[in-house]
Amino acid sequence: MHPATPPTANAPAARSHRTLHRRGLLRITAAMVALPLVLGATACGGDDEASTDPNAKVELSIFWWGGEARAKLTEEALALYTAKHPNVTFKKTWQANQGYFDKLATLTAGGDAPDIFQIDDNYLTEYASRSTTLDLTKHKDDGKLDVSKFPESLWQYGVVDGKLAGVAFGENTQGLVYNKSLLQKHSLPEPTTGMTWEAFIAWAANASKVTKVPGTMDPSADYKALWVWLRQQGKDLYKGKELGFTADDLTKWFELWKGARDQGATPTPDVIHEGNATDITKQLVVTGKAGTSFVWANQMPELKKNTKDELGVIAYPGDPSAQWARASMYFSVFGKTKKADVAVDVINFLANDPEAGKILGTDRGLPSNLDVRKTVSDSVTDPAMKQSIQVENELGAKFGPSPQVPLKGHSKVRSELIKFAEEVQYGRQTPAQAAAAYYEAAKAAIA
Amino acid sequence: MALTTAPNPTPPARETVRASAKSRRPGRTRHGEGLAGYVFLSPWLLGLMAVTAIPMLLSLYLSFTNYDILTDLSDVEWVGLANYERMFTADPSYWHAVQVTLSFGLIAVPLKLAAALGVALLLNRAWRGVGLFRGLFYLPSLLGGSVALAIVWVSMFNRDGAFNSFLSLFGIQGKPWVNDPEWSLETLMVLAIWQFGAPMVIFLAGLKQVPTELYEAAAVDGAGKLRQFVNITLPMLSPVIFFNLVLETINGFQGFTSAFVLSNGTGGPVDSTLMYTLNLYITGFTELEMGYASAMAWVFLVAIALITVVFFSTGRFWVHYSDGDGN
Repeated sequence: MHPATPPTANAPAARSHRTLHRRGLLRITAAMVALPLVLGATACGGDDEASTDPNAKVELSIFWWGGEARAKLTEEALALYTAKHPNVTFKKTWQANQGYFDKLATLTAGGDAPDIFQIDDNYLTEYASRSTTLDLTKHKDDGKLDVSKFPESLWQYGVVDGKLAGVAFGENTQGLVYNKSLLQKHSLPEPTTGMTWEAFIAWAANASKVTKVPGTMDPSADYKALWVWLRQQGKDLYKGKELGFTADDLTKWFELWKGARDQGATPTPDVIHEGNATDITKQLVVTGKAGTSFVWANQMPELKKNTKDELGVIAYPGDPSAQWARASMYFSVFGKTKKADVAVDVINFLANDPEAGKILGTDRGLPSNLDVRKTVSDSVTDPAMKQSIQVENELGAKFGPSPQVPLKGHSKVRSELIKFAEEVQYGRQTPAQAAAAYYEAAKAAIA
Repeated sequence: MALTTAPNPTPPARETVRASAKSRRPGRTRHGEGLAGYVFLSPWLLGLMAVTAIPMLLSLYLSFTNYDILTDLSDVEWVGLANYERMFTADPSYWHAVQVTLSFGLIAVPLKLAAALGVALLLNRAWRGVGLFRGLFYLPSLLGGSVALAIVWVSMFNRDGAFNSFLSLFGIQGKPWVNDPEWSLETLMVLAIWQFGAPMVIFLAGLKQVPTELYEAAAVDGAGKLRQFVNITLPMLSPVIFFNLVLETINGFQGFTSAFVLSNGTGGPVDSTLMYTLNLYITGFTELEMGYASAMAWVFLVAIALITVVFFSTGRFWVHYSDGDGN
């Protein structure tokens, strides 16, 4: 708004130096443009040379999600690898689960994906079907990647369209975690594996009445609880390339939990909404806003870190044979990495080396390698870890067959379930309305 | 400000311009001048090309493809107008996001401007310590779209947050504001309105420029405070109001950070905070449909451009420029 001082005032002075300035500036500009190019070129050069000589220095980037406990254990195990192979160092990046896959997708789009990254069955198909993950079949057949000590169904759970897209890094299963201290304080019975959903809800309603804390989280927005429940009804989440359930099944599921809310077994919708976040620290059983939470059994130690109360863990309600040995997560190799051989060796080490296995413990689930699993189970001292091992071993005998790996579009199937379940929880839609709308949305998501 | 003034009635002939340039700088060709200009521009120009123009054009291209962020750019398939078709005909959550964004903009922007103007009027006086107050009121907007601020906001307006503790002093039972789909968007609006510092400072600058003689003359003629405000302050301030309106509207529609933080990146509860840009982000980065998200971005750009054009074309009916003879 204010005109600058007229440029003519000191023009003569400026003009006398103009030629010099212009040349100088040109040079500076040229240098500014060229410098990053040159630096970039040398950086690329470094990458290219890495794979030829086995003892050449290699820096592998590795990316995972998890809490601080996992970070510590993983870093320790990687340090052990570096101790054995001094030429291999790691660029480690980790973060909480929330936002992890956004970041991984962005890094991939930029051609800058980490050489090794952690992934779960929600995204494995998405990545594998686009060849973002390296097909490890060849390495498995060469013996560079040893899965011979894995349970067959577990490493198979990493196969997408005939390609070995990820190495299962732990076996786990759904776990219903409850606040033991709270129940003991009020001399209430603990829930037991195998109780029906109706019996469990009645138990929770009673617990709410006695303890004044809602008895259970409402898992109607939780795909893994829905999944177990569907399998107990003889259905499944997916069947071939389609949904394995109908809108009617879903109505029943939403009605089951509407009934639970009406009995006062679950918290108010806004509290349920907090619990619907995937963040472990926000699970209602550790924030003290509900007596139980529906989680994965291997999350016990991390949950334990967030509460002073004693926790117990059992299977989800209903017939436990609907649960399965799930690959809690995988490590995959970036499809375009130039350091594939080293990356595969690192994964092989983390999965099969007894020392590394001891360090990693059951943080990612029961170790996939059965020998390692045995050593770890025998030597583990952390009580929370011990507990989750015990439960998973107990349940292991009762597991049914694994379902297929989720379809492409699974992440949307999950997020839409949260939306429509919350529509019912907040009382904005009836179970039948929400079920019909969700069924359409889920169908569109996997189409 | 001069953007809306009528085109120069008599554009000087090119020859005269060239001649005068020549006469002022003997021995220099126009060509050389142009080159020097570009050299001086180059840092900015390179930045513009690399960081804005090329990515924008690329996204325009991608909006006609099925690009899914994980696939190589060379492997994307051309799908024509399919993304745009889907947006307008087959995506209810898109229209839901449009609706959320419009109600956010239409409510939060006018209230924010009103708050900014009101406080600016109060602070446009020679009190002792008025500078301190100006600083304090400006402070929230320095924090801008900061994540930390949104986190604090969420914890303040939780069921057991500070705001409800305050309400309980008066025996009022508060709601879980941020986790209630009926109230979550309103909570975000309050956050946006609270950050009225930037338009307030601009209003203050505008108020300082209103000549005091006008008020003195009006006072002599017996005009009351309200009359003075309506007939002097508002017209004299209209260019500044216009400027703030355009800027804040564009900002308001682009709201992202607070909605993202409040909803953990989901737009929840029940899509109540699914702002346009958040929906775009989820589509592109969580659902990996980057081609479709690019189409959304371009429709958004065009929509905002249209709104701005509407502002500018209606501006001549109510914006008064004191310099020159106005329009």
